Amino acid sequence: MRWGMVIDLAKCTRCHACVAACRIEHFLPLRVTWPRLIALETDNGYDVDVSTYPVRCNQCKDAPCVDACPTQASYKREDGIVAIDHDKCFGCRYCVIACPYQNRTYLSRKRNPNYFPEHAQTRFEKMGKKLYPHQVGTTEKCNFCHERIDAGREKDLKPGIDRDATPACVNTCQPRALTFGDLDDPNSNVSKLIREKSGFVLHSEYGTEPSVYYIDYKLGGNPSNKAPVEAQTGSHIQHLSTVYAPSKPKLAKKNAD
Amino acid sequence: MANREVVYSTCKSCHGGCGVKVTKEDGVVVHIEGNPDSLTGGTMCSKGLSSIQHIDNPYRLKYPMKQVGKKGEGKWERISWDEALDTIADKMKAAIKDYGPHTIAISQGTGRGYNRYTMRLARSLGTGNAITPGYVCHSPRLGLYALVTGYGRLYCDYHGWGGEFPKTQIMWAKQLEISSADSEMCYWYMRSLDYVKNLIIIDPRASAYATRANLWIQPRPGTDCALALGMMNVIYEEELWDKEFVDNWTFGFEELRERVKDFTPEKVSDICWIPKEHVIEAARMWAIDTPGTIQVGSSLERQANCGHTLRAITCLMGLAGNIERPGSMVSWVLPDTGLIEDFNLELPITDEMKSKIIGGDRFKMGATRTCNPDTMVKRLLAGDAPIKVWFSVGGQQIVHMANTKEVVAAIERVEFMSHTDLFMGPMAEAADIVLPAAHWLELDDVYDMHPRFMIEAHNKVIEPPGEAMSDAWIFNEIGKRVVPDKWWDTVEDMLDYQIRRGEGPDGGPLKWKDFSEKLVSGCWGPDQVYYKYKTDFWREGGGFPTPSGKFEFKSNHLESLGYDPLPVYAEPGESPVSTPDLFKEYPLVMSSGYRQPFYFLGQYRNIPWLRSFMEFPTCQLHPETAKLYGVEDGDIVWIEGPRGRIRQKLRTFPGIKRGVLMATANCFYPEEPAKGYHGVFISNPNVLTSNDHLDPMYGSPDLTCLLCKVYKAKDEELKEEVFRNEEYGFVPPHSQEDM
Ligand code: SF4
Ligand code: SF4
Ligand code: SF4
Ligand code: SF4
Repeated sequence: MRWGMVIDLAKCTRCHACVAACRIEHFLPLRVTWPRLIALETDNGYDVDVSTYPVRCNQCKDAPCVDACPTQASYKREDGIVAIDHDKCFGCRYCVIACPYQNRTYLSRKRNPNYFPEHAQTRFEKMGKKLYPHQVGTTEKCNFCHERIDAGREKDLKPGIDRDATPACVNTCQPRALTFGDLDDPNSNVSKLIREKSGFVLHSEYGTEPSVYYIDYKLGGNPSNKAPVEAQTGSHIQHLSTVYAPSKPKLAKKNAD
Repeated sequence: MANREVVYSTCKSCHGGCGVKVTKEDGVVVHIEGNPDSLTGGTMCSKGLSSIQHIDNPYRLKYPMKQVGKKGEGKWERISWDEALDTIADKMKAAIKDYGPHTIAISQGTGRGYNRYTMRLARSLGTGNAITPGYVCHSPRLGLYALVTGYGRLYCDYHGWGGEFPKTQIMWAKQLEISSADSEMCYWYMRSLDYVKNLIIIDPRASAYATRANLWIQPRPGTDCALALGMMNVIYEEELWDKEFVDNWTFGFEELRERVKDFTPEKVSDICWIPKEHVIEAARMWAIDTPGTIQVGSSLERQANCGHTLRAITCLMGLAGNIERPGSMVSWVLPDTGLIEDFNLELPITDEMKSKIIGGDRFKMGATRTCNPDTMVKRLLAGDAPIKVWFSVGGQQIVHMANTKEVVAAIERVEFMSHTDLFMGPMAEAADIVLPAAHWLELDDVYDMHPRFMIEAHNKVIEPPGEAMSDAWIFNEIGKRVVPDKWWDTVEDMLDYQIRRGEGPDGGPLKWKDFSEKLVSGCWGPDQVYYKYKTDFWREGGGFPTPSGKFEFKSNHLESLGYDPLPVYAEPGESPVSTPDLFKEYPLVMSSGYRQPFYFLGQYRNIPWLRSFMEFPTCQLHPETAKLYGVEDGDIVWIEGPRGRIRQKLRTFPGIKRGVLMATANCFYPEEPAKGYHGVFISNPNVLTSNDHLDPMYGSPDLTCLLCKVYKAKDEELKEEVFRNEEYGFVPPHSQEDM
């Protein structure tokens, strides 16, 4: 099992919701951001390309940050996630330099003022100190929301399928540009997307074997506009509808009045 | 063991509607995410999520206050709710007695859920002078849709309930992918993209999907009507119209043909500065690959030809038969609870009220139920004081109206004004009394969705700070004091009233308590009805609810009001074509149409997480255009027009049309002092816009099409606080912490 993410560059809108969701999920200090959005805007004279590359820790299979860590604070879990034991980390920052993707942040005091720097902490921040204590003087990065994955799997939920076992950023993304699943399972949604849409990793030349893949394509050109049955019936929401059988003209009329 | 509690609600950080799941631990909100069991599938944007920094924000208004200095000086003193409400009510009563109810203005912003209350308060007081931003956002399209189809609420069918998704989709001056601002949830739009054959983006600057769409057209700002006429010209020339629909259900087809005859692709190419092939291609995709939808952006409504632009676009829908067909433009069947506006519509606007609407004699489409704000400004400046008491809620007229200098000068002349809001801002500083409002997480209310196929519940999750109260409560308290027979004892009674037509669990009228648990009253899936004009839905024997019973390409009603019954193109008030001399001095076409996904109009620059995404209001120029004018990426630049100049940060962007400058709209700085209205003159593009040239139907000014020049600001010209703040952990100076 190796958890992975596929990011759809055609769909991403640079909306920043993933960033906000991650900040909430992990009570991130004011000046720390685990996922980032990198803009790529080019004009080669005949073709303009406006793209956004959402990046986060790639949970590399061959992770230089783990190799560089002198205390084994950075380690690789069995499910492929690169995690950090903050009690072991002593802040040498070798990993920050070792990560070729610049996905690690050293949490200095400067990065950790109150949300409203000259005011008291908000209740959310105070609660965060209890529920998700960040340790100033250690290094942080995206952890693929392994808290959610672990808690979900204990309840037999499937990461990437069941919300409560899926990363927060994936859940919130409005265009569904983020897909999560098991890269080792050839039938998982991520494996299929990578296969069918020629998924690629960023800077494969670094040789770290990232678990975050990207797909890109042109929008439009879909062969059929027929709505599948689930969409027609609105099956996932139909139970919320309050108007029944308006095909009976009377009721429809009543609503028009 | 910590006490965990989950509350479901509805987000209103934009026009709203995303289902929300909030988790509290020991009474503190510790988590916000989308509600998976909702129409938005558990997704949310950064604005809604960042509500966590809204609720405990130290800069929130917590108590009613009165201005003890001069307007705009920022000298405030805490008062009691009774004193505040009684003062406002007394001023209203006095105005009614001494001058008549029409001298009271009720104003609102784009709406954090109070539209119904604003309109009901105005009508119950007997004034037609409601001030809303509707005339530059959404109202023109509703009015024009209504004119053509008889029913105003025509929305894009992104749902597939009728068996088909749109095959061709046009995003016209709109970024639905980053905002649910018209309550057509971006979530639905983006799901429908999996079925689209042609995605057409019409926008001078590349929105997120522009460079991956099938066709991206970059018209010169302000020329969209010509493009629509040109597309129709192609449809006529190539005989691509929907014969069945046109033959049986439309009126004025031949007259429209005559009208669009001149708008050949060549001519349109000249007007819009686009290749003529784009006009032809778009027309073919639109008319051949049906069904299709056109999502209109409010940039088109911020132009002084907006009436005809929207009319032309609506005609385009009709020519392709893209009305009421699954996957096209549909007016949705209402839920059990009925039309939510009935709450205000049930109090009619009398002829007397109508006759006193400011601007009503001139803008016969726009100023029939609300006043024309620009005319009001001119009259205030002329000294004839048409408004004695102004009850303002939420909106930032100082920010969003054209010609900021005049707007400020006019508002300072209003004898008495109150403003209700969550934070201090330009309008609050201009008021005599401010009232603290609750955030959507702190109140119970009914959420009304624009497409009107559902309403949802805002459920109170936590208590508001200090003495802040919900808008509904505030409106009801004012109403009760001045016109008690039109208002309720409690907010809950008022909420019960609004949803009474729904069915409660006991078979009786739906009550707030039950609705609040149920969260939604809606109609979708197989319960929706398409092709209503082919049934008795609108008319016995079929047809549209228009005077002719048909879809009206030509409108006799418009003619009777003194307007052209067919769409006409007109240049913006200031443009390379209409004012060539001015263009020599101001050689860039400017638009204030640049919007970011993490701000909603004037809001959220005081939410640290959101401010971190873009600290300074930013404008965009093509790298080549920037080079031409000697400015560079990252510069703070002056943008100057005939009425003044502003500073924004420049980003060069290859996705913008050459020769066009796109500035961020609606910017003031909460951290700047009260004097100067929180920096409203520093970066707000409306310092540059004109309120002299208005749309004849709606009175809308040219906010998204004017002229400017650009040059680098010198270091010594960057003195204000905002330019000194390198970090986004900014510190707004105004706080009630010590009160
Ligand atoms: S939430 Fe989704 S669309 Fe928005 S920036 Fe992140 S990946 Fe892109
Ligand atoms: S992306 Fe960087 S931090 Fe993440 S696993 Fe790879 S090397 Fe380590
Ligand atoms: S996977 Fe989790 S930790 Fe990583 S960016 Fe997304 S929300 Fe943040
Ligand atoms: S799109 Fe609007 S309703 Fe949805 S989460 Fe964002 S602000 Fe809230």
